[in-house]
Amino acid sequence: MPRATSDAKLLIQSLSNAYAATPTNLKIIDLYVICAVATALIQVAYMGLVGSFPFNSFLSGVLSCIGTAVLAVCLRIQVNKDNKEFKDLPPERAFADFVLCNLVLHLVIMNFLG
Amino acid sequence: MATPRHLLLLLALALAPLLAVAAAEGAAEEGPRGRRLLVLLDDLAVRSSHSAFFGSLQARGFDLDFRLADDPKLSLHRYGQYLYDGLVLFAPSTPRFGGSVDQNAVLEFIDAGHDMILAADSSASDLIRGIATECGVDFDEDPEAMVVDHINYAVTDVDGDHTLIAGDDLIQSDVILGSKKIEAPVLFRGIGHAVNPSNNLVLKVLSASPSAYSANPKTKLASPPSLTGSAISLVSVMQARNNARVLVSGSLDLFSNRFLKSGVQKAGSKKRYERAGNEQFVTETSKWVFHERGHLKAVNVKHHKVGETNEPGMYRINDDLEYSVEIYEWSGTSWKPYVADDVQLQFFMMSPYVLKTMSTDKKGLYSISFKVPDVYGVFQFKVEYQRLGYTGLSFTKQIPVRPYRHNEYERFITSAYPYYTASFSSMGAFFIFSFVYLYHK
Amino acid sequence: MAEPVSSAAASGGGRLRNAFGGVLCAFTLLLIGVVAFSIRLFSVIKYESVIHEFDPYFNFRVTQFLSKNGIYEFWNWFDDRTWYPLGRVIGGTVYPGLTLTAGTMWWLVNALNIPLSVETVCVFTAPIFSANASWATYLLTKEAKGTGAGLMAAAILAMVPSYISRSVAGSYDNEAVAIFALIFTFYLYVKTLNTGSLFYATLNALSYFYMVCSWGGYTFIINLIPMHVLLCIVTGRYSSRLYIAYAPLVILGTLLAALVPVVGFNAVMTSEHFASFLVFIILHVVALVYYIKGLLTPRLFKVAMTLVISVGLAVCFAVVAVLVALVASSPTKGWSGRSLSLLDPTYASKYIPIIASVSEHQPPTWPSYFMDINVLAFLIPAGIISCFLPLSDASSFMVLYLVTAVYFSGVMVRLMLVLAPAACILSGIALSEVFGVLTRSIKFQLSKLFDDSSAAVSASGDSGPESSTNSTKSENRNEKSETAPKEKPSKKNRKKEKEVAESVPVKPKKEKRLLVLPFELSIMGILLLIVLGGFYVVHCVWAAAEAYSAPSIVLTSRSRDGLHVFDDFREAYAWLSHNTDVDDKVASWWDYGYQTTAMANRTVIVDNNTWNNTHIATVGTAMSSPEKAAWEIFNSLDVKYVLVVFGGLVGYPSDDINKFLWMVRIGGGVFPHIKEPDYLRDGQYRVDAQATPTMLNCLMYKLCYYRFVETDGKGFDRVRGYEIGKKHFKLTHFEEVFTTHHWMVRIYKLKPQKNRVRGKLKKLKSNAKTSSTLVAGRKKNPWQ
Repeated sequence: MPRATSDAKLLIQSLSNAYAATPTNLKIIDLYVICAVATALIQVAYMGLVGSFPFNSFLSGVLSCIGTAVLAVCLRIQVNKDNKEFKDLPPERAFADFVLCNLVLHLVIMNFLG
Repeated sequence: MATPRHLLLLLALALAPLLAVAAAEGAAEEGPRGRRLLVLLDDLAVRSSHSAFFGSLQARGFDLDFRLADDPKLSLHRYGQYLYDGLVLFAPSTPRFGGSVDQNAVLEFIDAGHDMILAADSSASDLIRGIATECGVDFDEDPEAMVVDHINYAVTDVDGDHTLIAGDDLIQSDVILGSKKIEAPVLFRGIGHAVNPSNNLVLKVLSASPSAYSANPKTKLASPPSLTGSAISLVSVMQARNNARVLVSGSLDLFSNRFLKSGVQKAGSKKRYERAGNEQFVTETSKWVFHERGHLKAVNVKHHKVGETNEPGMYRINDDLEYSVEIYEWSGTSWKPYVADDVQLQFFMMSPYVLKTMSTDKKGLYSISFKVPDVYGVFQFKVEYQRLGYTGLSFTKQIPVRPYRHNEYERFITSAYPYYTASFSSMGAFFIFSFVYLYHK
Repeated sequence: MAEPVSSAAASGGGRLRNAFGGVLCAFTLLLIGVVAFSIRLFSVIKYESVIHEFDPYFNFRVTQFLSKNGIYEFWNWFDDRTWYPLGRVIGGTVYPGLTLTAGTMWWLVNALNIPLSVETVCVFTAPIFSANASWATYLLTKEAKGTGAGLMAAAILAMVPSYISRSVAGSYDNEAVAIFALIFTFYLYVKTLNTGSLFYATLNALSYFYMVCSWGGYTFIINLIPMHVLLCIVTGRYSSRLYIAYAPLVILGTLLAALVPVVGFNAVMTSEHFASFLVFIILHVVALVYYIKGLLTPRLFKVAMTLVISVGLAVCFAVVAVLVALVASSPTKGWSGRSLSLLDPTYASKYIPIIASVSEHQPPTWPSYFMDINVLAFLIPAGIISCFLPLSDASSFMVLYLVTAVYFSGVMVRLMLVLAPAACILSGIALSEVFGVLTRSIKFQLSKLFDDSSAAVSASGDSGPESSTNSTKSENRNEKSETAPKEKPSKKNRKKEKEVAESVPVKPKKEKRLLVLPFELSIMGILLLIVLGGFYVVHCVWAAAEAYSAPSIVLTSRSRDGLHVFDDFREAYAWLSHNTDVDDKVASWWDYGYQTTAMANRTVIVDNNTWNNTHIATVGTAMSSPEKAAWEIFNSLDVKYVLVVFGGLVGYPSDDINKFLWMVRIGGGVFPHIKEPDYLRDGQYRVDAQATPTMLNCLMYKLCYYRFVETDGKGFDRVRGYEIGKKHFKLTHFEEVFTTHHWMVRIYKLKPQKNRVRGKLKKLKSNAKTSSTLVAGRKKNPWQ
């Protein structure tokens, strides 16, 4: 057991060390993702309390949060300099695709919401 | 010596009745039945022996055309139009009609919406019996049988003749028999008939008493008679589905002058009536048969949404609507508003979703307002009104009911506000994020 | 010295050849589109420009409504002329893709002042979209294996009989646009997978939305793609491109699918979609694992794994248990009837006779494979092997698509259509590989023949047999084209010339030994393959012309005196529309419902949508009951006319008597007093003298065979092949109002209720007899 806890502590330490080394823009994206997922979880908790009556509103709320999270992760993948596959992709292009996809997502959300 | 002044007077006198008639015609309303009756007799003597009855008919405005039943020029219609509006068959023993008339022609006449009075007696031929059976009335198959009642017979000079019945078992209906009660018994001598109790188009107007039976009065009874008791009907009426009315009487003498004018005393009772109830009976029933009473018509079916006046082609679920109809009754001379409290409206789609009694304003207008049920489909406004002695009212109007359109739902649902804020906040977060991401150092 | 010059010249020449190749490719694609369009026009030439079958008539009616009233009315349309008296909410029960597409085309064309009618646009929608589908196939196969394979696959798809059968001119049904949407969605998915671009992921989601709008078969996509993602993960081919290809598709795709009213909340609640969510979660877990792996050292990573697995498994079990409980609580385990019958082929025949009764839902026979995909059946295995050399994400997707399509096509003959694109793609890949090898051999052998001393000539990028340098992009153009025939197969040969072996070099340079065959063998091989292609083309054209161009609303037959045309259906519908009131209700078996509403414009009781089994069972019971009971049932539904289809006079086999047992089964499923054994004699279905009394008294028998004996005196039924049982009978509650020229459609009217109810006495035989017994003295003296 002490081996496990010390292992766990070591694990967490090395994780946080490795994470601190990531560039700032990626950290911003990570923050954004965490916010979005948190909002989604709050909504699911609310649905559990109140019931799922306007189901389409619930779905659009949750899926909009999860959708922005997923798209942000995609952006992070494409912008990450450690990623060999995307070294030819200019980050502006990645961001433009990201904006387009978000536009479509939010358009659909607005349609489905009410 | 006709001076111009005298001529003018003569002309005026001649024209006046015409004008009066014209005025009267114009002012009088058109009843549901015409006034031309064909009276078929098998013996012209019947014309004078039943003159009181015929006279009462003529006094009510009917044009009677007396013909022998086997007149070779007999015809009910010509060039596709019917020549008469009603039929009185006082020819019980005719084996065959003359001219172009036969059993089928008579039945088609009834199915075309015309009324008939049929009288039979112990000499009834198969033709008359056949017509009666087609109308739902089964005469006794024994051709010699007559109705005999040893308890409720009318006292006559001939002792032991119990074939003259004093019937007082009348149907309880003000529509058929008039509002004034018939006090005296009705004299009857003739054959009896039975009606099928499951046949809801036929009614027994004058039934025999429980002690009556139908058998040959001259011979001894060999076996128990088939028709006995109150199952025997002496006079019946049939109202077909198209509201044609037929009166079937087992006795021609019921209508004769002799029975109309004679007094009656029932056996075993002290009371002697000066006049038998025959006159009132035949007058009232003939009024009913020829639609001078008990004929309803429904006009002006209207429906609209509450608050609007035009009739929409389609309703929506959970709409409020109003329905109204006007019902009139023919009083013999004019259409009077029909007043009742049991006219019901169904909002029907394979089964009634809404069933409500309509309220009336006593002037013939029946209306009701209700909420369309929460089911969509093709509904019908259905009114089915069948009351004893009245013509049946049965009319429907088809109307579709649609569900909500996509923009007829609640716009903003309060319990969904968190979801709205979440969606908008994610949009806002995206906006802020892109700024921060693009312009951070 | 000569080398740089020649290489410069060669590179300039290479660019020219590239441009020439591009133009040739575009021109070939155009011709493929023209072939796809024109091969489907046989029915228009042989018959007329008319809508075929049954379902297209409903789609046509909806398109007419859309073009007349606009999209908002269409969205909210409540149709009261069908499924009387229940009505049908069209907006929420129809897949709008097809009608919106055709409506848009019609509106566009009319806005340009080209006066095409709605019917013309509807009839020609399918050929136009089949041309689009071939181009989409080209794009998809190009992503997997290159331009040559793409062109080959596109040419094959343009003509494959299975696709032709559902997309001839006049077959205005969902599959006409859905197959195009399917292929295009797959193309965008593979493109995203190959490039990792979020732009294509967005387009993929939008194309998936179009597919959901068009056809109920969209569940195939939303289950195939997760399967492929899972396959990639399991075979160790996870990459971030996979994440970008899949994750946005799930989110956007689910949202877009939920937007379509027909699907609605089924997009998240039915078992058909659970696979996508499950794989979504798995993908995220795998992505997280890879990310953490990248952050940590291997030892620590092991520690993390053990920790996570122990905790994670517990959570997993809990979640899975909840899910299983939810799903198991519903009787169909969350699957819809149609999907269940796909997974368990015997399900429909046991529980849902309506699904089982449709002939398109039966399993196919072995010959139908050869009929529908012909030569491709042999080329598919070669294509599968070719996909494995080398295996890429795209080619693994092709193989998976093919395997699943083969399984489903084995369950329902209708799904051969989904197999067709897979078959074409794999055959295209196989054929192009073979042609590549053969032409390479010929080139090599020829070059060796002509100039075996200087291998330098082949230095201009000749991908010689010994080595292949992947840096050379330009390909040696084979000036001599071995075969220059002018028939269609020559197109395939030409494009083999310019086939660029530019498979994207993922792996670093490797030495490959390329196969070379002897010269004569190669020539023979090419010739034989061209002959094979020729057979394929001939078969496709024959299938299009003879087998699949029948409009089924007009029938023809050849006899000694020429061509007979049977136009009875339209005759009957025209009679109905001219001789009945607008609000009259017509009852018939559900097959003819769409045609009756569209062509006769009368309200029907049941139609091909078959959404309400009880209503259909009511009609089936009425057809199986004796006349009086049938009259009661029809009267309660306010029916005025009854329509039956009868083929006994001319030998039309798909008539109501042959379908009658299904009416009995479906009716008996809801009303237990109808029992199928009552209608069978010793288990055999007969309508001759051996038939059971229930059969001879039922309404269907009477309405079909009323007065049939008058045609030839014996009542010989040409379809069944024997004389009928009950020949002379009268109808008591129905009256015949119309029978078409060849007795194929017969219309009856319900007699109104009798005016008088008869008494109980029997009718008297003759009046003449009784009159003679009547004595004149019987007349009574009225004065007494």
